[in-house]
Amino acid sequence: MSVLRFDSVSKQYPGGHQALVDVSFEVAEGEMLFVTGHSGAGKSTLLRLIHLSERPTRGTVLLGDRNLQRVRGGKVALHRRQVGVVYQDHRLLTDRSIGENVALPLILRGTRRAEIGKRVRSVLERMGLGHREKALPSQLSAGEQQRVGIARAIIAQPPLLVADEPTGNLDPTLAAEIMELFAGLPERGTSVLVVSHDLPLLRRMRKRVLVLDHGRLVDDISPQDLAE
Amino acid sequence: MTRATHARPAVADTPSRPRVWLDQHLHSLAFSLGRVLRKPWATLLTVAVMGLALALPLGLSIVMDNLRHFTGSVQQSREIGVFLKMDVAADAAATLAGRLRARADVAAVEIRTPEQALAGFRQGSGLGEAIDALGQNPLPTLLVVVPQGTDDAALAGALEALPEADLVQHDALWRRRLDAWLGFGQRVVQVLSVLLGLGALLVVGNTVRLDIQSRREEIGVLQLLGASDGFIRRPFLYLGVWYGLGAGLLALGLIGAAGLALRDPLAALSASYGSAFALKGLDALHSGVVLVGTILLGWLGAWTVTGHFLRQTRPTET
Repeated sequence: MSVLRFDSVSKQYPGGHQALVDVSFEVAEGEMLFVTGHSGAGKSTLLRLIHLSERPTRGTVLLGDRNLQRVRGGKVALHRRQVGVVYQDHRLLTDRSIGENVALPLILRGTRRAEIGKRVRSVLERMGLGHREKALPSQLSAGEQQRVGIARAIIAQPPLLVADEPTGNLDPTLAAEIMELFAGLPERGTSVLVVSHDLPLLRRMRKRVLVLDHGRLVDDISPQDLAE
Repeated sequence: MTRATHARPAVADTPSRPRVWLDQHLHSLAFSLGRVLRKPWATLLTVAVMGLALALPLGLSIVMDNLRHFTGSVQQSREIGVFLKMDVAADAAATLAGRLRARADVAAVEIRTPEQALAGFRQGSGLGEAIDALGQNPLPTLLVVVPQGTDDAALAGALEALPEADLVQHDALWRRRLDAWLGFGQRVVQVLSVLLGLGALLVVGNTVRLDIQSRREEIGVLQLLGASDGFIRRPFLYLGVWYGLGAGLLALGLIGAAGLALRDPLAALSASYGSAFALKGLDALHSGVVLVGTILLGWLGAWTVTGHFLRQTRPTET
């Protein structure tokens, strides 16, 4: 069963720029994969289509069995709750504590307060941030902030997590730490799609890699091929 | 790879919809109050501008109500004064009064003899010596006729036709003019209320717009996390409610203070005219209506601005 499926998806922006051309791929349940390519290859557009910040010009995007073309109006928000997102710049709310930031997806779902507190503490422990729950984002290092971003993305146990250059601002050691965290998510039932152009990191991770070039999916490299 | 199947957020985690609704409203209420209190000067300024804008039409409306109340009591005295000719004797005047009392359009007739009129004039004018110098009473007999029914003018016309009548005093024209002035004043108050209410609405809208601008990034993050329009809009709506409540209370306070300041001089003025007229302010019910109105105004301003913002930030719906 696939968690995410792109079926001949093309995206042309109003100015005429063709960001994606006939892209098709699937993400299996519990899979972790990377999407790579040069700047302007269409990586960000791909994420925006998954997250419904944009809609395809042609083709179909399916999350589970839901055709995203049919997700409209108020249902866009409901859809976004099903996809965890991690950004390179973390996008944490600076005037709220780490605990409050991480709790947001659960608050949006209307989870009970006691349950929110329990799950926030649990996920922060997993991220090694159990002692920083009351701290503000500005009091954390870049690596810690990224871990908060991941904690926020996974706390509601979404079926799919997408990450946009999540290690772009981190040194190699921190980047490896963050990737290890991602690598542990499929075991917990969350598929992970990471956009990255860090080729050494991709080689080390030995996961499936989709290569985009000028909007076209030019390669789909399996972990075995990558190892070879 | 072994894939453990982990449960998705269990249904038991999610309380009932009304509970979620209540929780999120309480959260927004507290959060918006926190924002208001964290920026006391900005809040005070907004509330002060709104409060003043609302106090003006409210004050004028109260003044108009008081004028209407006052003139209402004046208008109730619909008496028509019939000054009889000097040669009409007292018994003829009494006969005439009797005849008039028999008319269907007359409620009552009172006779004021020349002697009574002179005594009253002497007392009221302070010209006793000058009157004594006249040698004779120059004042005629006066019949004070209280009409019954609505057509006072017809009765006045009939009284003017009486051979005994020298002059009939009927203030219909004055009353019509007063009514017209009151109607005009009332309309001015209505127009001012609409204009200044719109001004208050714009003040709230602009304040909320600035607040939205300063929190644009935060709103963007919430939208990406799957916050509904309602969730994003709610704290701003409560912000509008707080502004409206503050402005309403300030407007009522200003009106109350103005009423207190005017009460004594007005009482002295009306006492000098022998009137017991006292300024009537807003009772609890009307104050409550004003507060509900200003709260709605704040809410509407915030709702309009957030609605516009949310429409702008929706994903492409092509």
